Amino acid sequence: MSATHISNSTVPAEQLPTILALDKQFLSEQYAPLNRLLNLALILLICALGTALYFQPIINLPIDFLHALPYIVWGVAIFGFINTWYSYACDQVKSYTLRELDLHYSSGLFFKNVVSQPITRIQHIELKRGPIERKVGLATLQVFSAGGDMHTFQIPGLPVATAQQIRQFILQHKDVVKHG
Amino acid sequence: MDNQSDLSTGNQINPATKLQDTDDWQVLSPVAILYFTVSVFKHLFGNIIYLIPVLVVSYKSVLEHPLVWLPAISVVFVLLTLFAFASFKVYRYRLTEDNIEIRSGIFSKKHLNLPFSRVQNIKIEQPIYYRFTGHACLQLDTAGSAKSEAKLIAIKLDFAQQLKMQIQSQVQTDTTATRQHNMSTSTAELTTDAAGDQKYKSQQEKVLNQRKLSDLVIHGITSNRIWIFLGGLAPFYDNIFNAISEWLSTLGIDLTELFSLQTHSLFEVGLYVLSLTMLVVLVLVGFSVMGAIVSFYGYTLSKLDDKYIRRSGLFTKHEVSMRLSRLQMIVQKQDWLDVLLKRINLKFEQTNAFSQNQDSSATSNKIIVPSIKVAESQALIDDAYTNNELNALICSHGFSAISKRFILRNVVFVLMPMWLIMISGAIRNNNLIAVLLISLLFAGLCALVVLRWKRWGIARDEHFVYLRKGLIGVDYYCFPTHKVQQTQFKQNLLMKKRQLATVKFVLASGALKVPMIPERLAYQLIDESLYQVQSCQKSWM
Repeated sequence: MSATHISNSTVPAEQLPTILALDKQFLSEQYAPLNRLLNLALILLICALGTALYFQPIINLPIDFLHALPYIVWGVAIFGFINTWYSYACDQVKSYTLRELDLHYSSGLFFKNVVSQPITRIQHIELKRGPIERKVGLATLQVFSAGGDMHTFQIPGLPVATAQQIRQFILQHKDVVKHG
Repeated sequence: MDNQSDLSTGNQINPATKLQDTDDWQVLSPVAILYFTVSVFKHLFGNIIYLIPVLVVSYKSVLEHPLVWLPAISVVFVLLTLFAFASFKVYRYRLTEDNIEIRSGIFSKKHLNLPFSRVQNIKIEQPIYYRFTGHACLQLDTAGSAKSEAKLIAIKLDFAQQLKMQIQSQVQTDTTATRQHNMSTSTAELTTDAAGDQKYKSQQEKVLNQRKLSDLVIHGITSNRIWIFLGGLAPFYDNIFNAISEWLSTLGIDLTELFSLQTHSLFEVGLYVLSLTMLVVLVLVGFSVMGAIVSFYGYTLSKLDDKYIRRSGLFTKHEVSMRLSRLQMIVQKQDWLDVLLKRINLKFEQTNAFSQNQDSSATSNKIIVPSIKVAESQALIDDAYTNNELNALICSHGFSAISKRFILRNVVFVLMPMWLIMISGAIRNNNLIAVLLISLLFAGLCALVVLRWKRWGIARDEHFVYLRKGLIGVDYYCFPTHKVQQTQFKQNLLMKKRQLATVKFVLASGALKVPMIPERLAYQLIDESLYQVQSCQKSWM
């Protein structure tokens, strides 16, 4: 261990590349509206189910539950609406940065979060596309490191072509090809 | 068996040429459907356990309507088989010179890339139903995650072996190249380096540490095994108490009589309670000491070349070995009793990923040295990480503290609301004792928050990051900066206003967080660790 010396002590802290000044790339323009649509659809579905349950004559529900049901439906509707609005706002600020040696993903409106993944620590890559993502030509890029399942680096809502490019970039990266 | 090998060699004229020709997307052999079907059903029956209570409850009514459940079950079976067939249909794999690609998924499409240089473990699996066809599954493990590793299903057995050899040789050349590059000891430990082990055997093992029985007694007393034990017994409390009171009454002692305030004074009852608790605690500590002795009897920690070996155990002898290069982080733990007795539990942690699929014992991925003295601990840390400054930092209090706003945040935003709600409830009921108790609890929790704040600190030097953390006890974490897998920077609007931020380091052995440090320090920490990781080119294992 003691024999390993790499000449890296000459870079002063001010000259280090910093994550403070990331050149942010935003996600596909379709991503945020799509998510909003999906969220709204889900809330509508739940509310519709609740309403249907309230008016249907087939199943006998406990009277207390029946009384509470309209409030629950309203609660879901209001909370869901606020949540949709909030996550839409969040989706719009999500961004990623691809630097020469690392990947970054920034998110959060009130709770800002920047995840940085050095390419040399990437173990394997997965491109995921759900049925709806495929319809609109989006993809989610997942990058796995030895940090475990909980810390999978993930960029959602990328246009397929971009996602493919990033994947190729990582796979051909000298750090991935050479060093474990 | 002879038949099969004949068959498979007949199919493949020359496996070596075949390997190079697989640059196109390959379809699996139809035998793979069998595997998919089996795994689908395995999955289903794995989950059916949760349904069993429902089935048991309603099984009479279920049995009464065979016209309902017979078609239902057959529909489910058909659907699952279709699902398995579709999984087979969409599965494609491609082998290029240095990586493997797998496309799968019916609804959600997945496209996986796995560079051979990142493969940590290769396993050939032959399910019983593949023995007749000579097929096998090749499982490639990366340390990336526990479950979603790559698996080639239903390939010919000798092709699988061929592939395994090829990938392993590639990993090996890669690592030797790395070794020549920076003379580091970071070798990927392959399953096939038995030959290397033989060579090392001739060298002498150096014993680094041994634990005496007295140390183990101390460890038993200080470690919190008692609470684990109590927790495990929780469902049986009722039975135990009944059994004990029965046993006591056969001895002529009546518990209800003993603790009755009508026949005895408050002082007397208090004394009984106290002595009884003491007795129980004594018994439990006894168990804890016994536990420590059983698991750590004859403890030796030795070093053979770059490998740490831990041996211990009274009945079953355990041996855990770990390459120095696999060591991710050293943790020096001190509980409040340890602080009083000046003892330390030292932990050498390696990656979590392997323990899950290799060894059932949860402790096997770390080497723990129980209840050692401060100097011994420092010697061990220095042995593993030369030029670390943990000891100097501890002595000089060189850790930068986290912001005092940590106290404010936790007290005002977390504890205060709970306290207010509970206390308003108690006041409404005119329950003054409850008010007092709740306030006392609140004050105690606030004190704990202050302690937590006081313990939390971070320091760094050229090669290492040091972290101090704890509540009543103190824990020190030390890891080489280049072992970082990922960093996270967190900041909410309030923190931004005060220029504070939270940093999370993700290592292969787990994540470490430092909350509410100055924003500038946070950026520095992240930028520097990223730079270290990228510039030093050392492997993380």
